[in-house]
Amino acid sequence: MTGLKKKTALTRAGIIESLQFRLSTAVMLFANLIYLALVYFLWKAIYDSSGVDVVNGMTFYDTMIYLILATAIFNLLEMFIVWDMSRAIQSGEIIMHLLKPMRYRLYTFWSYSGAHVNNFFLSFVPTFIVVVVITKGAIPIGINLLYFMVSLLLALIVNFNIEMLVAPVCLYTQSTWGINIVKETVVLLLSGASIPLAFFPEGLRQAVEYLPFRAVYDIPLTVLLAKNGTDSLSGLLPKLGIQLFWCVLLSVCGNLFWNHAVKKITVNGG
Amino acid sequence: MSNEVIVMKNISKQFKVLNRHEGLKGSIQDLFSRDYKIIKAVDDVSLTVNKGEIIGYLGPNGAGKSTTIKIMTGVLEPSAGEIFVDGRMPYKDRTANSENIGVVFGQRSQLWWNLPLIESFNLLRNIYLVPEKDYRNMLELYRSLVDLEPILHKPVRQMSLGQRTLSDILAAFLHNPGIVFLDEPTIGLDVSMKARIRELIRGLNEVKGTTVILTTHDMGDVDALCKRIIIIDKGRKIYDNDIEHLKSYFGSYRTLRMRLGDDSWVEQVIDEKKTDVMHVMQEMQKEHKIKDIQLQEISTEEVIRKIYEGGESA
Repeated sequence: MTGLKKKTALTRAGIIESLQFRLSTAVMLFANLIYLALVYFLWKAIYDSSGVDVVNGMTFYDTMIYLILATAIFNLLEMFIVWDMSRAIQSGEIIMHLLKPMRYRLYTFWSYSGAHVNNFFLSFVPTFIVVVVITKGAIPIGINLLYFMVSLLLALIVNFNIEMLVAPVCLYTQSTWGINIVKETVVLLLSGASIPLAFFPEGLRQAVEYLPFRAVYDIPLTVLLAKNGTDSLSGLLPKLGIQLFWCVLLSVCGNLFWNHAVKKITVNGG
Repeated sequence: MSNEVIVMKNISKQFKVLNRHEGLKGSIQDLFSRDYKIIKAVDDVSLTVNKGEIIGYLGPNGAGKSTTIKIMTGVLEPSAGEIFVDGRMPYKDRTANSENIGVVFGQRSQLWWNLPLIESFNLLRNIYLVPEKDYRNMLELYRSLVDLEPILHKPVRQMSLGQRTLSDILAAFLHNPGIVFLDEPTIGLDVSMKARIRELIRGLNEVKGTTVILTTHDMGDVDALCKRIIIIDKGRKIYDNDIEHLKSYFGSYRTLRMRLGDDSWVEQVIDEKKTDVMHVMQEMQKEHKIKDIQLQEISTEEVIRKIYEGGESA
């Protein structure tokens, strides 16, 4: 288990490191409150103007719970690999990462893991508890929480792999800003993080079913809220299967792409 | 294979660089341009490094020093030639190679910016799988060589440049690698810090038998640490020998300063291959009264400068 020691050491350092930024946690919470206020009023207006209580099978209440938890997951999963990698490449810092006795992708993943652990306990869990208390029973508390943890872990890996597929693009284009914005928008929209997938027009919703993005937000949220029969194994396993499928496919692609991209550095010197 | 830790045979490295044009029109042209030029950063360099040596790897800016180091560490793939570091091809086996090397690039840091130094050490210890006992021993050795306490619990971002460089060097030796690459480790440091860093490098080299490849522009580093130096210029190796030979390589120059009867000093640079000091003094004495003399050896710095400016190989 020597390999594990390398990884947990990175996780531990990540936890210590992100605990150094107390203020940024506070600022993040504040920014979230503003964002959630915006979401609240926006969807309130949408529901008010629709004139019915249930839109696309979701009540206003359902929608709010979904979006608040989606925001909480977003904060938990947020990674800055695209930024970090492009900065490391431009400054040449990437050499120091490449010279660690660990494969770069693994090294990156585990370097971020500490921040994820922190976000989980300092941001996601409190948000979840608040939502549970306020909604008084709208979220079932049971085995679905355990299932959710598995699904969340898979979502994290899928998200990491999406980042790692986009980040090396900056080696070819030299510019990152636009690529990053496109990635963020696409992921947030097509994953169901900003608008629940139930609200998508039928054609688009069908298309999104075949894309990896819903494995990041929609599936874990569905599992957490125990919808679509995901509180039973027969309903759950196909969903986890989809996530697992994307984990494998994207990491194979990501690996191939990275191996090609890293040649840009080792052959052309960055 | 016994003693040779690095073997480079006819290594070359070329970069393809786009020929940029001037102005807005030029920039637009560049978007579609296929007009590349080939830059030879390293050109047919062969060298071997033995275990335990401290080698001064010198050359003017842009000579190809960093490129060579990157090839040796495995982050650059040579365009031609063979390289073995501890029997491995570094670019093919970068991860395995990196377990046996330590690297300090003077202008960047491998330490975790926001963590106290001890946490970075802890992390490196785990990443390099250093056994607990070896780690303790290494920290003991560090304590005997430098004053660790003031920096050990300080976050790296709060350190002075000197403290950070010191920390980076300690971090590079932490897993007791066979070879350590130091790329301009004393850049931007004050004289006292430079002296401490040199002592540290020498101490670690002596105790641990670590091979050190040192690039620097500070001849003080070279004089203090290196027995052997390698000089490259425009990608080609132009000198590879002991530091003593260096001075005679370019001629045995000494500077004779004489104070004359009117208390003014005159200077005469003497090439001892052509004439000798006594002869010059006798000639002077025929016309002037000499009250005092000083004889100065040419410094390494002056020799190196002459080589850089001369540039021809020998």
